[in-house]
Amino acid sequence: MGNRRQNDRRMNLANARAPQRPASNLEHMTAQQGVSRRQFLEATGFSLTLAMAGCGQAPTQTALPLPDQPAGLSPGIRQAFASTCGGCSAACGLLVSVQDGRPLKMEGLPEHPLSQGGLCAIGQAQTIELYDNLRLRDPLEQGQVTNWESVDRAMTENLANIRRDGGAVRFVTATITSPTLKGAIDEFLEGFSDGKHITCEQRSCSAILDAHLQSHGRRVVPRYLFEQADVIVSFGADFLGTWISPVEFTAGWRKRRVPTPESPVMSKHVQLEGRMSLTGTNADQRFLVAPDEYGNALSHLASRIMQQIGAAAIEPVEEPPVSEAVLDDLARQLTEARGSSLVLCDSQDTNIQLIVNAINQALGNYGQTIDLDQYSQQRQESDTDLLTLLDEIRNGTVAALFVAGNDLLHSLPKQFEASESLKHVPLVVSFAQRVDATASAAKYICPDHHPLESWLDAEPTRGVVSMQQPTIRPMGNTRSMLESLAAWQDRPTPAFDLLQQAWQQRAPAGDFQTHWERTVHDGLEPSRETDGGPSRTEYLAPTVELAPQQRVGEYVLELYSKVGMPDARHAHNPWLHELPDPVTKITWDNYVSVSPATAERLSLQEGDIVEISTADGANIALPAHVQIGQHDRVLAVALGYGAPGTDRFAGIGPDWLEAQPTVKPGELVGVNAADLIRAEQDTLRYVRSDVTLRRTGGRKDLAATQLHHRLEVPPMVAPPGAELRHPVQRTTLDAYANDPGAGAVSSHHLPEQQLWPEDHPKHGHWWGMIIDLNACTGCSACVVACQAENNIPVVGKDEVRRQREMHWMRIDRYYSGEGDDLLTAHQPMMCHHCDNAPCETVCPVLATTHSDEGINEQTYNRCVGTRYCANNCPYKVRRFNWFEYSRDSGVLNLALNPDVTVRSRGVMEKCTMCVQRIEAGRIASRRSGERISDGQVLTACQQSCPAQAITFGDRNDHESLVSQAWHDPRAYFVLEELNVRPSVGYLRQVKNRPGDDLGPQSEASHD
Amino acid sequence: MTEPTYDQPPLVTGDKSLDDVTRDICAPMERKPTGLWWAAFIASFSALVLGIVAVWYQLVTGIGTWGLNKTVGWGFDITNFVFWVGIGHAGTLISAVLFLFRQKWRTAVNRSAEAMTLFAVICAGVFPLIHMGRTWLAYWTLPYPNARGSLWVNFKSPLLWDVFAISTYLLVSAVFWYVGLIPDLATIRDRSTNKWRKRCARFLSLGWNGSARTWHRYETVYMLLAGLATPLVFSVHTIVSMDFATSVIPGWHTTIFPPYFVAGAIFSGLAMVLTLAIIARKTMRLEDYITKTHIERMCKLMLSMGCIVGLAYATEFFTAFYSGNGYEQFVFLNRALGPFAVAYWIMVSCNVFVPQLLWIKGVRRNLAAVFAIAIAVNVGMWFERFVIIVTSLHRDFLPTSWADYVPSLVEIATFIGSFGLFFTCFLIFCRIAPSIAIAEVKAAAELGNPKLPVSEERAA
Repeated sequence: MGNRRQNDRRMNLANARAPQRPASNLEHMTAQQGVSRRQFLEATGFSLTLAMAGCGQAPTQTALPLPDQPAGLSPGIRQAFASTCGGCSAACGLLVSVQDGRPLKMEGLPEHPLSQGGLCAIGQAQTIELYDNLRLRDPLEQGQVTNWESVDRAMTENLANIRRDGGAVRFVTATITSPTLKGAIDEFLEGFSDGKHITCEQRSCSAILDAHLQSHGRRVVPRYLFEQADVIVSFGADFLGTWISPVEFTAGWRKRRVPTPESPVMSKHVQLEGRMSLTGTNADQRFLVAPDEYGNALSHLASRIMQQIGAAAIEPVEEPPVSEAVLDDLARQLTEARGSSLVLCDSQDTNIQLIVNAINQALGNYGQTIDLDQYSQQRQESDTDLLTLLDEIRNGTVAALFVAGNDLLHSLPKQFEASESLKHVPLVVSFAQRVDATASAAKYICPDHHPLESWLDAEPTRGVVSMQQPTIRPMGNTRSMLESLAAWQDRPTPAFDLLQQAWQQRAPAGDFQTHWERTVHDGLEPSRETDGGPSRTEYLAPTVELAPQQRVGEYVLELYSKVGMPDARHAHNPWLHELPDPVTKITWDNYVSVSPATAERLSLQEGDIVEISTADGANIALPAHVQIGQHDRVLAVALGYGAPGTDRFAGIGPDWLEAQPTVKPGELVGVNAADLIRAEQDTLRYVRSDVTLRRTGGRKDLAATQLHHRLEVPPMVAPPGAELRHPVQRTTLDAYANDPGAGAVSSHHLPEQQLWPEDHPKHGHWWGMIIDLNACTGCSACVVACQAENNIPVVGKDEVRRQREMHWMRIDRYYSGEGDDLLTAHQPMMCHHCDNAPCETVCPVLATTHSDEGINEQTYNRCVGTRYCANNCPYKVRRFNWFEYSRDSGVLNLALNPDVTVRSRGVMEKCTMCVQRIEAGRIASRRSGERISDGQVLTACQQSCPAQAITFGDRNDHESLVSQAWHDPRAYFVLEELNVRPSVGYLRQVKNRPGDDLGPQSEASHD
Repeated sequence: MTEPTYDQPPLVTGDKSLDDVTRDICAPMERKPTGLWWAAFIASFSALVLGIVAVWYQLVTGIGTWGLNKTVGWGFDITNFVFWVGIGHAGTLISAVLFLFRQKWRTAVNRSAEAMTLFAVICAGVFPLIHMGRTWLAYWTLPYPNARGSLWVNFKSPLLWDVFAISTYLLVSAVFWYVGLIPDLATIRDRSTNKWRKRCARFLSLGWNGSARTWHRYETVYMLLAGLATPLVFSVHTIVSMDFATSVIPGWHTTIFPPYFVAGAIFSGLAMVLTLAIIARKTMRLEDYITKTHIERMCKLMLSMGCIVGLAYATEFFTAFYSGNGYEQFVFLNRALGPFAVAYWIMVSCNVFVPQLLWIKGVRRNLAAVFAIAIAVNVGMWFERFVIIVTSLHRDFLPTSWADYVPSLVEIATFIGSFGLFFTCFLIFCRIAPSIAIAEVKAAAELGNPKLPVSEERAA
């Protein structure tokens, strides 16, 4: 085993993707023949690194110096390895940046056809989970630490008994995109007379699969091609935030959202929803429809479209929830964009999904914007299977249950009585990395590797096959699920061999080794012809049964997935807990969102604890959050919180006199809302109206990073003529088509007069950044990217509540207008590196100064901490180290980027424009003798932006993208009137809405 | 010999002889401390200890023990700093400016006012030091030759100007106070029966022998120092105001700040002098030396300063309105109507409305009323600094960064501790040095003024 692991390790080093070293086959050849001297030294050096970094339990061997440097491995030099993200089932492409044997930074794989270089916040946050010291390090038997040999012995025996008795074996996983792992599970189950693999998800979209089975004969989620869509109408589907494959969808959506003066066109995105979703905040038009009215609204839309097209009509049964004019307009736009439109819905009612399919079919979208041939495999769940399984467990007919990938018990409501009936299952085996709710009921916990430690593959969409390679030796005595399954079939084989064997079977003709190495190096299998077969766009025209909605109560509860914390899988990730929700800006909690009108009616204040009870007796109590732009009937609660073990975060953050614990004794991070899930017609439902709401009288402070939410200043203190602030400028597409500079706030212009003489010319590079507000969705991937890159500490809920979060990059979210005219803007905000920086003049000790490349530099060593620079910063982007945050937390320190200083107490810090990356680029350019080329240096935020909203580069290079963007007619600068001359600009937002103005937004006020 | 041409009440009452003056003023030093003194001392010292504990905890744990946040980077710290610097100004005004203007009534209060200046500046100086994230590196703000390459301080930074202004002020105040003490130290030397007290006084009185030449030299030096201290009354608080005025933050970025701050400083200082004088005359039985006439004159001065401060408030509002700058207008509306409106209206009430009572002579001569008004002005002037600092910062340009500010227990304890430091110093001062300038008050008293005839009754 040990040798083989080292071989594995060798493989990924041999296939280093770093530009300074090409992949070498030769080394791989030697590696195949056992442990070479080089290999030995490499492993030793690697162990040494781990040991020195304070990892107590890392595999330590005799520490020897490296007299002969292994090729491609230089201390302090980063290497990038292509891999696949294991954060969720979307399986985006990864470039794992590894330094001194430690994976440090996840970046998007630019060549990946789906994620296209983007990576979401969850993907970015994987490193902190890898180095989590509470991850299981050994297998457990009945809660006791054991070793693999005894587990394997016992399992073999148990399984032999089951085989003999013909007992039912059930394998429950989250969606598995890996063909190899899926094959291994199938193969494992074939050994039993009654074996079945069940896929389930915390927030299922099973109805989409069921509906496609009925309408197109294929139980799949199709691939949605947003880049082909001229008109997108989404009923509650949060495709930019959490729905199926948000990074892929963001990349596609973004392609049609950038008008140019030459071609002032963009897609039209209409969102109809009850809660305020991230996708809704980015829509051109947004209409409020409660989620139990989606079917009704869709049937009205369908009947109009069918009438215009002349297809079989779907008859609505109720009055429409939105005005006739809106429906007429939507129907007209959709029919005009036949074949290039897209109608989506996140309903779990198969009938409603059938209407969606019927509309898309009638509009001819299948084969155009919806691909059923190269369908998605990112979601494969079947609620029918899950509910059947629960019946089987309840009836005691299951002999063995294997659970992997998600916490079954945590994600199911109590009413399903899963935890009680699970006791009747003789053999429960969990592959969880931590003791979650299901694992604690398991007889054996056989912890799987972290994805960054594993060999695996993925096929997120038919024909797109990517490779997951380990970038670190497993930190504990964990084992790949592939290996566990093989061991229990009496043929223990390393995962690497299993994977390679599986690949050999499906390899194209030609030399396998070349094919394999190229795939590992690229992270992607070279695209090949799909297996052909009949194109499945044939419509089976199923009948749709629509019944009028049964409305029981005055409210309608919607359970949703939260951006950054879609389910309990990442409940142990402090970066994601501290990531402000892109819409509510609240950290460390889930809550009930209610509309302002409902809150006023119930005299609810932010943080008042309310109890939600359902007709079937479930109830949960959690704090209320007043959400602008939410339907008055809707109560929205995020799933995936209240995960067992999250009380570990009680002590996170500084300890001082008035500190409040992040998690109160006896509580967890957030509250598990799974009890409010119900099942109906074989699907799990996340919307229900049989709920009542009651104030308990308690209070729980919510920690939000933003306290004022509007562009309008509070009316009571608003000076006449300056009721509105203008950090965000926007216009409509019509106005833009007439004048690409439309939307400029007239008084905002750069004054010609300078207080200081221009005596600091920037001859070399002059770094600048432009952020396209029309592309930015607010997904917050950049926030975590920045945190990972720049060693930004997690400060805990209490510090966030005290407005002391440390994120260098924040996303300001502004609302303006009301009702259907409510517009939202997301504005990434970080240090603007002003040429006339107000912070620089006020520092008494010159700790913040300007570089000759236009960067505002903070010298931590020199800072005495007067905080005047932060006071004087008009953008308020400076962050002060109120406490010593960098406490030694053992293995977690391995996640620190060695290229970035860890700041001590009492100093100021802020965005550096990733100066360490600029320096790396400079070193490379000095070696090559060429000037740093455009795109050679990417900031951390820019690299992984799924929407590619951030452009960074050299303003002195007139060909650079940033120089071009600087002169884009949409470019403007926030607080330009202060004449601080920022190095960060924005491109104006363009909304594809009718008319020439956006109501009060376009009104100029500072005259 | 003619009578004074204008009718002036006597500056020393109670038919004191020169010997009486010496005895009365020296009495508090020579007798054992009273119970009242002990009570006051224990209270002050306890407050000081509380403050030391709070500051120690903050230094060990971090500035996070204060209620500051990403938006409000200064709160109680700089508020207290400006407050205490302001307190000091009245001492310098009374001792230096009124000396140059030959205002004899100042003699009753100048010594304690100067001591107050000194202690207030010490209290003030503590805050910029402890407000630094890394106090132990505070010496980096001094421009001294060093081995860090060409690393120097930033002469453009108003915080650096502060370093110079405050240290200069502390030095000049201390020297001025000490020089004024020399004749009185000689008196103590001569009267003292205690060996150590006599030795100390002998050393500190620099061989004073009371000769005409000594007096002449002394008065020349005192005049020169008064001339040197006078500009500091204006310059120190002008520079302190530039901590704010040179920034870009609406509500700080204001050209009116230098005169506004100087007037406010003198205003608050007078209120503090009155507070102390009223207590001192009662507890130390100095009613004959600090008479109602003195109190009334200081009340008039305080009233005039209060009106200047009121005018400054009005001017700020008008300027904001007239500027047409939305950010500026917002700041002032937000001060008056926003989350910190209570602080704003305390400030306006205490500093502008309440002092208007001093137009009434009966109020000016009513010690209880004057004491209450003086306390109100002290409170109001503290809130003025709080309002300027916190309300300007908490809501500036980008609404997403708007934040609240609530002081922490540690901050409040530090604030209390600064009062503890001040009063502990002051009470010790009352025990070891004459709290009224003996030599000067003799010159100001009727009997000590050779121009005035010894009164008939006394002669009889």
